[in-house]
Amino acid sequence: MIGKDLALNPLTLKQWQRFKSIRRGYWSAIALVVALLLSAGAELLVNSRALVVSYQGEWHFPTYGDFIPGRTFGLDYDYETNYRDLKRTFSGQGAGDWVLMPPVPYDAFENDLKVGVYPPYAPSITSRHFLGTDTTGRDIVARLVYGFRLAFAFAAILLACNFAIGIAVGCAMGFWGGAFDLLFQRVIEILNNVPFLYVIMIVASVIVPGFWTLMAVMVFFGWTGMTWYMRTSTYKEKSREYVLAVRALGASSTRQIASHIIPNTISVIVTFIPFSIASGITALTAIDYLGFGLPPPTPSWGELLSQGTRHLESPWIGGSVVVAMVLVLLMVTYVGEAVREAFDPKQFTYYE
Amino acid sequence: MQAASSGYKATLVAGLVALAACQGEVEEEVSSEAAAVATELPPIEVADGDGLPAVLPADLVWETNDTDPTFASPDAKRGGTFRTFMLTFPLTIRRVGPDSNGSFAGPLRYNQLSPVTFHPNTRRPIPSLATHWAYGPDGRSLYYRLNPKARWSDGVPVTADDFVFAVKFMRSKEIVAPWYSNYYTERIRDAKRYDDHTIGIQGADPKPLPEMHYEYAFGPVPRHFHEPRLTADWVQATNWEIEPNTGPYQISKIDKGKAIEMSRKADWWANDERYARHRFNPDKIRYRVIREMNVAYQHYVKGELDTFGLVLPLYWHEKAKGTEYDAGYIAKYWFYNDLPVPSAGMFLNTDNPILADARVRFGLAHAMNFDRVIETVLRGDYDRLPTFQLGFGDYDNRSIAAREFDIDKANAYFDDAGFAERGGDGIRVRDGQRLSLRVTYGAPHHTERLVILREEARKAGVELELQLLDGSSAFKTMQEKKHEIAWMSWSSQGLSPRYWEHFHSANAGKPQTNNLANHASPEMDELIMSFRASSDLEERIALAHRLEQMVHDAGVVIPTFQVPYTREGAWRWVHLPEWLGTRTTGSLFNPHRLSAGIFSSGGLFWIDEAERERTLKAMDEGEAFEPTTVMNTDYRAE
Repeated sequence: MIGKDLALNPLTLKQWQRFKSIRRGYWSAIALVVALLLSAGAELLVNSRALVVSYQGEWHFPTYGDFIPGRTFGLDYDYETNYRDLKRTFSGQGAGDWVLMPPVPYDAFENDLKVGVYPPYAPSITSRHFLGTDTTGRDIVARLVYGFRLAFAFAAILLACNFAIGIAVGCAMGFWGGAFDLLFQRVIEILNNVPFLYVIMIVASVIVPGFWTLMAVMVFFGWTGMTWYMRTSTYKEKSREYVLAVRALGASSTRQIASHIIPNTISVIVTFIPFSIASGITALTAIDYLGFGLPPPTPSWGELLSQGTRHLESPWIGGSVVVAMVLVLLMVTYVGEAVREAFDPKQFTYYE
Repeated sequence: MQAASSGYKATLVAGLVALAACQGEVEEEVSSEAAAVATELPPIEVADGDGLPAVLPADLVWETNDTDPTFASPDAKRGGTFRTFMLTFPLTIRRVGPDSNGSFAGPLRYNQLSPVTFHPNTRRPIPSLATHWAYGPDGRSLYYRLNPKARWSDGVPVTADDFVFAVKFMRSKEIVAPWYSNYYTERIRDAKRYDDHTIGIQGADPKPLPEMHYEYAFGPVPRHFHEPRLTADWVQATNWEIEPNTGPYQISKIDKGKAIEMSRKADWWANDERYARHRFNPDKIRYRVIREMNVAYQHYVKGELDTFGLVLPLYWHEKAKGTEYDAGYIAKYWFYNDLPVPSAGMFLNTDNPILADARVRFGLAHAMNFDRVIETVLRGDYDRLPTFQLGFGDYDNRSIAAREFDIDKANAYFDDAGFAERGGDGIRVRDGQRLSLRVTYGAPHHTERLVILREEARKAGVELELQLLDGSSAFKTMQEKKHEIAWMSWSSQGLSPRYWEHFHSANAGKPQTNNLANHASPEMDELIMSFRASSDLEERIALAHRLEQMVHDAGVVIPTFQVPYTREGAWRWVHLPEWLGTRTTGSLFNPHRLSAGIFSSGGLFWIDEAERERTLKAMDEGEAFEPTTVMNTDYRAE
């Protein structure tokens, strides 16, 4: 049986070896982790705030923390310093002051607008809009990066909630069976038949859906997915001898489920994680695309996608987000495939 | 779609059968009436205190207008077919009753004339069905002398009976039109026939003189056509029946689901009337169904539609490019008009503790960078709206300028209001309360305007939280006064601005009223009531100027944008007068609009079929003309 310390378990080691041997899954996993780490520190890479400002011999680090008003650097305003302008001013003055900007010197909200030329602006190295801007002059790289971080966080939290409820209910259904099982089967069938997108639309038309309200609605309809798998697995495991043995030893129901049944159904759970992440990202993007998702001006892939379809004459908008989306979903799927294969007790599987 | 509409019909039929079954008496009455069409109508039922005098008052002063300048071009040629489109096929061609308020209601109603209409340049009443009019001494009644030449499209003369019948018809349950039934009961109190060509109409409240035509005058309903049909079956029976009308065009062909064709009456009774001469020139108007705007645009570029509206920046700047324009096959027109401007604004709910402070409202107005929005995403095409209501001629208070974007002024107002500190995110704070305000709006394409305002406003330390709702729930939220800032626009029409519904304390703090700012001021209430009661034009204008100034001084509305023009594209063969349009032209290529819209400005263009042939030939041979883009600013306000 799988012991408490997963890391030392030979079976786990074997699974890891197999995962590593599936190259595209392995490399996708590395790429995704790197992307996630980078996006977690996105403020250091894509930001309108400078990394370092050296002014009159004093160093400032504006990235995190409170805003620094322009007056601090000898400018004539009280609102947040425009560091790109500051950099220009300093280099013009030649007084030894300097500003170090991140590689992409824009955040996801500011409108970098030029007089006489109308957004969306095409990609340009000189203006540092590497993927151009959207219809209100916001940098697409910034919108993509912050949108990715948000979508991934959303999908991860959604997954955690869905799995927590889904696994608990699914296990209980399989373990207790009988009336409880029947009741929840019906509840799940009913929930599955409610058109979830319409519910989102109705909710969005009445209130502004925030991050957590959207999450609540999606969890309400999303947890059912895991229950069927957990229910079957639990049914199967429950009648196995090792469970009968612990029951004979007097273990409580909770103990039987938590310490014995769930660890043995872990392959089912782990296999579903990547695909659930992918579906979480797509779901958020889809409702944002339709305009029922996170309120503007939240950076979002769906909103970019909808701008892209309305402005086909500016292909960089739609193009960027489609490419980003395809890449991420592809990588997540590769990881998912590799995980499924690594956890498959059969050595040889044929996918249809 | 099909299933839904037939389902609706089924319930409707069931409902009517039930109605007929329980109202056998009504049935009988109707049929006896049908036999007596030619006899005189019984008088209209009136409430106590209402009712027109039995004999025409002798001291009426009859007015007419045959001196205002004409505005159609004598060069106009009659003939040709004007080809245009509609997005959906109408569910009925009735003018009232279920489903009648659809896409085709306009063309139908424009051809049902009212007694008078308004001159598109002078804004004064001009004859339409009536030649003369007089105002009753009670301040709420109107008398009309009908033009004896006026004829229904089937040749039957238009008489006073058709007006009296109109009230009876609109009040009847058979037409299933609750809004009309209510209007003709509550607002129209009496209508009387004095002789075949003289009628009186009485409304509910006294109104200023010329405005009574707009408030109370209504068009006739052909008695000879509807009276025999006015049974429980009316809605069904008249769905596809062509009703006689009095305007220049009548439906000549219905190709169900695909197209409707209207034809010019060759011997239209008003052909030689002063304000109708040289107008309504195409022999035929063909409306075809094209269900999508972009597809319609493609048809137009191929020359299958004669004109196309290009108001939106995307169309005017991006789509209206290419050979057809460069080679001069299609001309572009940009025409400034001077119509009542929709009151677009940010309505600040003064019930909100932050917005109750006038200094915050002024600061907010100075923190909104509308010019930047206009310069960028609106491509310089829109104008800043200087004040709440505009476009009513002499009523406009042109001395008011909108509060400009000025961070220093905004800062000073906010500091003064106690929001002197800034939090870590740069937003001002007063006693732990952030200067953050929610903007409720319902138009998704306005997001790009709001995000720019939001970013600019941050500089003054104020945060706008954007709340985009579905259109109808946004309006509902505002009507329930649950908004902090309502970003919306009231459509404007009529001859003078309106204040009571938007600013009177009777409408403040209550749900379902149009006082979105919940503004209440005793001083303003008094002026509003004098404005409503006054029928003296000079006095009204002076009061309107003062009221508009008070609205500005209260700072409860931040006016946003106006689009004081129309932009359209038309193929070479569509000609316009030298002056293109009139002061109140909303659309240069509207073939109708003799009287349903308040100003009679449409039908000035004409089609040259020979030119069409020439242009098509030139296109085949690759021959080009001078490209034409015309901008007309004759009526652009200061």
